[in-house]
Amino acid sequence: MMTFNLLDEVLYMPSDVIAAWVLALLLGPAVLVWITRQRKWPVLWEYARTTNHRKVGTMYLLFGLLFFLRAGTDALIMRTQLAVPQNDFWVFQGEKYNEVFSTHGTMMIFFAAMPLLIGLMNIAVPLQIGARDLAFPFLNAVSFWLFLAGGLLFNLAFFLDSSPNAGWTAYTPLSTDTYTQTAGNDYYVFALQISGLGTTLTAVNMIVTILRHRAPGMSLTRMPLFAWATLITSFLILIAFPVLTIALFLLMFDRLFDTSFFSGEMGSPVYWQHLFWIFGHPEVYILALPAFGIFSDIISTFSRKKVFGYMAMVISLCLIGFLGFMVWAHHMFTVGLGPMANTFFAITTMLIAVPTGIKVFNWLFTMRNGIVRFTVPMLFAIAFIPTFVMGGVTGVMLSVAAADMQFHDTHFVVAHFHYTIIGSTILGIFAGIYYWYPKITGKILNRRLGLWHAGLFVTGFHLTFFIMHITGLNGMPRRTYTYEWGENLLAFNLISTIGAFMMGAGVLFFAWNIYTTHKSGEKASADPWQGRSLEWTVASPSPEHPFEKVPIVDQRDAFWYAKQSGRKLQVEKDPRPAPIAVYTIQPALMSMILLVMSIGLIYNWWLLALICGGFLLLMFLWRTWKDERRSLYEREEPDE
Amino acid sequence: MSNHADALFADKQIGFFIYLMVEGVMFGTLFATYFVFTPAATGPAPGEVYDTQSVILASACLLTSSGTLMIAEKGLANHNWRRIWTGLGVTFLLGTAFLVIEVQEFYFYVQDGYTLTSSNFLSAFFVLVGLHASHVLFGLLWMVVLACQSFRSLPYQLFKEKHKIFIYYWHFVDLIWILILVLVYAPFLW
Repeated sequence: MMTFNLLDEVLYMPSDVIAAWVLALLLGPAVLVWITRQRKWPVLWEYARTTNHRKVGTMYLLFGLLFFLRAGTDALIMRTQLAVPQNDFWVFQGEKYNEVFSTHGTMMIFFAAMPLLIGLMNIAVPLQIGARDLAFPFLNAVSFWLFLAGGLLFNLAFFLDSSPNAGWTAYTPLSTDTYTQTAGNDYYVFALQISGLGTTLTAVNMIVTILRHRAPGMSLTRMPLFAWATLITSFLILIAFPVLTIALFLLMFDRLFDTSFFSGEMGSPVYWQHLFWIFGHPEVYILALPAFGIFSDIISTFSRKKVFGYMAMVISLCLIGFLGFMVWAHHMFTVGLGPMANTFFAITTMLIAVPTGIKVFNWLFTMRNGIVRFTVPMLFAIAFIPTFVMGGVTGVMLSVAAADMQFHDTHFVVAHFHYTIIGSTILGIFAGIYYWYPKITGKILNRRLGLWHAGLFVTGFHLTFFIMHITGLNGMPRRTYTYEWGENLLAFNLISTIGAFMMGAGVLFFAWNIYTTHKSGEKASADPWQGRSLEWTVASPSPEHPFEKVPIVDQRDAFWYAKQSGRKLQVEKDPRPAPIAVYTIQPALMSMILLVMSIGLIYNWWLLALICGGFLLLMFLWRTWKDERRSLYEREEPDE
Repeated sequence: MSNHADALFADKQIGFFIYLMVEGVMFGTLFATYFVFTPAATGPAPGEVYDTQSVILASACLLTSSGTLMIAEKGLANHNWRRIWTGLGVTFLLGTAFLVIEVQEFYFYVQDGYTLTSSNFLSAFFVLVGLHASHVLFGLLWMVVLACQSFRSLPYQLFKEKHKIFIYYWHFVDLIWILILVLVYAPFLW
């Protein structure tokens, strides 16, 4: 902790924040100089204005990975603090520890997992269904920049020493201004609000793209499963995210305008929990379903077989999505909603195991009798199945309401949701990045480094989190920064910490892999994996205008069967019109205005917020005035 | 008209309808919030607060405005600028009247001591009805912009599309008002 005197005001700065500032002030200029030296400014300027789905997707991936590294560092900090009993690692005890785990959870979910998945959707889905871009390219850029603005705002909080500290769930009344006066949870509210808006708009975009921009002959039931998962996920987002929006909106009123929805004599803290989990549980499936889709495609490709039980896979996706809305109160078994409610939610929760089980068996049957190639994406897929099944088993254990009274808020729960979310989402993202990397950059990631990455990450993962089942059953509570000698927890926690650093090393191999591949990777052909779906018919990396000729699809995995019989896919002569590509800085500007507006609201600088609001309306005006469709319509309407 | 424009507009229509669905979920959550906190255990009862007269007057304005917008819609189909401007103008005036009445209503409530923070019922009321009012305000600004667009030499198809999207929006805002009328005011007024 350091103290400064600035304009008669005493400023306290914890040394981790100072270290971050020093690092940022050293690295920032270095990066700027590097960009200038390499003459990369034109490239940056191009990306800042692009609306192309691959480029926007690439930016999603880049910033998603950046935030993933940051949130991962938080995880390592936590594990270091917990390595031995009564530890005093740096400053991360008490309130600081609360900030670290709140940041870790929020960033991993909203600023790492979500953008990484959306990035892969952006890159792969249009190509898989034969669309020439997302239905609304401009809106897509807006979505990305909103996500980035939210992420920047959230990280800004740390640099101003006011990180959120009420957990990623921000339970009330702790998160109201009665109990956490500093701006931390305001940052939480606004960062999630902005990025959530971006996610919602992405969902709209994906649905319209999938419903209306499929290649001729590509009926819904001929789509690759990743496209299906994206469709179902988008519908989940449409219902779940607006609820979060309103929950955050009400929390904002509680914090900024002195209402008391969630605290005080009149307020209802439990109402926040309901709203949060009505969003929060579907959110878990929003994270998992796309990963299921990725694995389905990968397993099928690298087993040289079509997906086993395609229709069962689709119906399971729908069922999981549907049931996902009826299980939220299983996060609230200990609240005291009564035996009827608890029973209902316990049963719906257990029901989800059925469609999920169907999917697991179908993946196994897809591999059965297949010619399995152990590529890096396939290894991640193979690691995913047992990992996720273990997460599912503990999920069913937790769904037993009576038993949950014991498990609740222990490391057992932490182990469970890391088995499901890392097991599906993170492994799925890694697999997806290795799999589609040729489409993104035109190169193939190095296999040897990929093996190191997968090996270290998966081994480290099980070391870290399998142990947590045991510490959890021994009663170790989550979100607690230390424990005592003589509680028999030392050995377990130490192993857990070692495992966490192995995962970190794995991720470093991944970063190294991206770097060396960029420097000197092997060029990829259009179809490096002997793929089955349409994305492998276009060049690597995918061109700005893919499908100059739109292929006609006559069955599932049409590309694969065409290759098998040595013919080419037929081409549609008169395809539906493509979305209009534009180059514009407007999306980036809009989001940055929203960012500044949020800062104005957080610190009650109403004038600033008002001015930004005005500018935002002007941006809308600019957008509608300079409509890119104008020139097109004028060409089609010469006589008016 | 042309194949290209029609296809792009159909995309936009579906996208906008889906977006309105999102808004519907948001308003739905706010309705739920209102029911959770109304009537409040302490503080004023809804029946004491609400002012029948202004509610009826405001409703009359807004509900008619959905009808007058149809004049513009008709004009849009026939390429009749007089009708478009009349419809848009009358709708704008009715919308403005609604907003004025509502702001006045809020002002009187606050004068009577029924503020945002008096009770959770009032908080929920103000947030829900206030969000609706801000939608009306946004719609009014939108109409101004549309009117300005109509004086530019835009391709007619493009103007028509912009106008149509606004029509969907305005009817949606009206629909939410009917729900507010039925679910928020009616149970406590009559």
